[in-house]
This record gives sequence, C-alpha cells and structure tokens, in this order.
Amino acid sequence: MKFYQIAILLLTGGCGLLVEDQARAGSRLPGTGGVMQIEGASGGGLSPWGVLAGTASDSEVGVTLGATRADVDDYHLMVSGVAANLYDRVELSLAHQRLALDTIGGHQAQDIYGAKLRLFGDVLYRPWGVWSLGIQHKQLVEGQTLARAVGARDTQGNDVYLAGSKLFFDALAGRNLLVNTTLRSTRANQGGLLGFGGDRHDHRKLMIETSVGIFLNPDWIVGVEYRQKPDNLDFAGEDDWRDLYVAWLFNRHVSLTGALLDLGSIAGLEQQRGGYLSLQLSL
Amino acid sequence: MRRFYRIAAIAILIGGIAGCAGQPGASPSLYQRLGGEAGVHDIVTDFLINVADDPRIVGYFAHTNIDYLAGSLEQYLCDISDGPCTYQGPSMARAHQHMGLTDASFNALVDNLQNAMMAQNIDIGARNALLGRLAPKYSDVMRDQ
Repeated sequence: MKFYQIAILLLTGGCGLLVEDQARAGSRLPGTGGVMQIEGASGGGLSPWGVLAGTASDSEVGVTLGATRADVDDYHLMVSGVAANLYDRVELSLAHQRLALDTIGGHQAQDIYGAKLRLFGDVLYRPWGVWSLGIQHKQLVEGQTLARAVGARDTQGNDVYLAGSKLFFDALAGRNLLVNTTLRSTRANQGGLLGFGGDRHDHRKLMIETSVGIFLNPDWIVGVEYRQKPDNLDFAGEDDWRDLYVAWLFNRHVSLTGALLDLGSIAGLEQQRGGYLSLQLSL
Repeated sequence: MRRFYRIAAIAILIGGIAGCAGQPGASPSLYQRLGGEAGVHDIVTDFLINVADDPRIVGYFAHTNIDYLAGSLEQYLCDISDGPCTYQGPSMARAHQHMGLTDASFNALVDNLQNAMMAQNIDIGARNALLGRLAPKYSDVMRDQ
C-alpha cells in the first residue's frame, strides 16, 4: 500500500476512533505498546522496543497502522507500515520506506518484513521488564544500482535484535520513566536504504540502541533516543542517529509522535537535521 | 561512540535524581496523599463501580461479597500506602488462586483503578506511587492461575 493511501486511511479512521475509545481496544494500558518505529516494529521512532504493538493482551489480537514522514536537510523519508499483535506474544510487521534524495536526485525504497517474539516479562509488572527477540528482513526494491555503486555488497539483509523495555513508576518528580535498550546485529547501511555490507566492512556488527522517556501524564511522553550504526562504506562516513521525541497518546487507538532528528552525515552530505511526524492507529 | 556516552551519562543522571526523589523526608505519607481514610474509601468505591461496569471482568465478581471485598481492599491499600492499618486478609496469591485470571483481566483492573484515582483527583505522583507499589504484586496474584 502506498504512503498516501495509508495516510488517508489513518485520517478517516482516526476521526471515528477519536470519539470511540472503547471500540475493540486491547487491555494493556495506553502507551505500553510504544509507537511504530521507522522499520514497522513497535518501539520509539528509531529503535524497536521490547514491547509488542498496540495494547493487545494475552487473550487478544490487535492491528496497528502507521504513517511517518521525516524531513532532514537533504532528504525526506516516508514510511507506511502495518503490524499485528497476536496475544501479546508475537508481532508481525510490514513496512515500506521511501527515501527521497532531494539534493542528489532520485530515491531509494525498501520493504521490511518484521517478526518479534516476546520472550518473557512485562513492561509494567516485572522487575526486569519485558524482553523480546526480533528479526527484520529488508529488501531494497528501488535504488539497488546506487547502493552497489557506493560499495554495498548486497541489496537485502536481515537485522536480528534483542530488546528490553521497563517502566519505572514514580521515578522522577512523581512521573513514570520508560527505559529501553536494544542490541542489534546488522550489516545495513543507513538502515538498509544504502544496501548491506560494504567495501570497508562486510561483517555483522553488534550495535546498541537506547532510549529514555518520561510520561508527563498518562497521555504525553517526552524522551531521547540513540541508535548506533555501522560504518561499512568507503565513499562516505555513516553517523549514529539520535532524536528528541514527544508522543501524544490520544487514546488507545490514536497517537501522534513528533521528533527532532539528528541523523549526522548521510551519503556524504553532513549534518542531516530535521523533524519527524508519525501518526498511528490501533484496532 | 562519544555521543553514546553522553546519552548514557544523561540516563544515569536522570536515574540518580530519581533515586534522590525517593528519599524519605518530612513529606506526607502516600496514604495521606491518597486522601487518608476518606480518600481511600472513595477510590475503592469508584474502582468497584468501574469494575461493575466493565464487561471484561465483572464476571469474576459474580459470587463475591462486595461489601467484604471493599473493606478488605481499603485495608490493603491503607497498609500498602503506609497508612495506620495492617492488612489481615488472605495473601494475594491465596486470594486470587484458580480464579482463571488472564493478563487482560489484570490489566483491566489496573485500568479501572487508574480511572478511579483520576476521577478522585488524586495527583499524578500519588497515583504513580500507588501503581508502583501494586505492580510487583502481579507475580503473586498470577502465580496460581
């Protein structure tokens, strides 16, 4: 499905769900499913978290739709995604990313098929939080030529990650603190949009991703995210990503996330900074 | 990598401040912040009304003596919030054993309690503190399900 179709679907669906909070919602507390990250998994904006999408609990299933746009100095990225939560045990997701090279010209696109298994725990009730193991199969569907031209070895790859999330009640000025850590094994260049592996490094690297957020109240969370990235290509350096985010959880169904991004250098263009907006809908 | 250390330092700093905020002082007890005896009574009453209106879980209470449950809950919340009570009912594991509770029903209860506290205008810090003290009981409540 194209980005605009998802966006229109989200807008029309969102209007109905803004008023009807009880319709087909999962039982987990609002916010405990995070939001859809740019690769389709539930998480923050940049990284997958230990929690599964939406609010489905052990006897429920849920579907989440998301549309995201990120604009930095020389690029913009559009992501549309859908994720299913089966009994708060398995999450299956599909995302389509389209990166427009506004300055260089042209665009890159990739499809990401994701699966995440909740290994154990609960983000609210267990002392060690919730831990999940995930995989993201990424296929570059447009721009393979460019990826190979800049030194990438492959146009598809698999990221495997272990992610943990824990909410600390009454942690800071009476507010709840949400902490996430993710370890990801990957060969992806710029998340896969510039292919996988490279002429400088071609092996899997273990990267750390982390975020801390504070719930100002049950509906608003602000926080920071950091995602370490490999640097596989000779032609241009690749930087780690970070952001400052705020998410508004309107109810169990609708959330809107905004962020200030600092993506560093991308394909030789330095200091890519900008904004991010993501709308998501859960049923 | 330097950026990572900076973010890690911020995270540790936030954790440190959070630790300090938890130090006991001359501040009112959680029980007082919940409104004392009257406050806890109102929260429990509101909570049970929410539960009675919640089709997800009302079935669990079909054969429950609600007056007894209300009194028992008030005593439990008083005890756990450092009030002048000692909970004398059965352990959480015993009280809930073999009820066939699911995570969904446990979450629904927490949701109803949160809504009751918000309806009673309990401040966010006291709400989160009480939820934080109740959250670890999950393991006991769900042990024999």
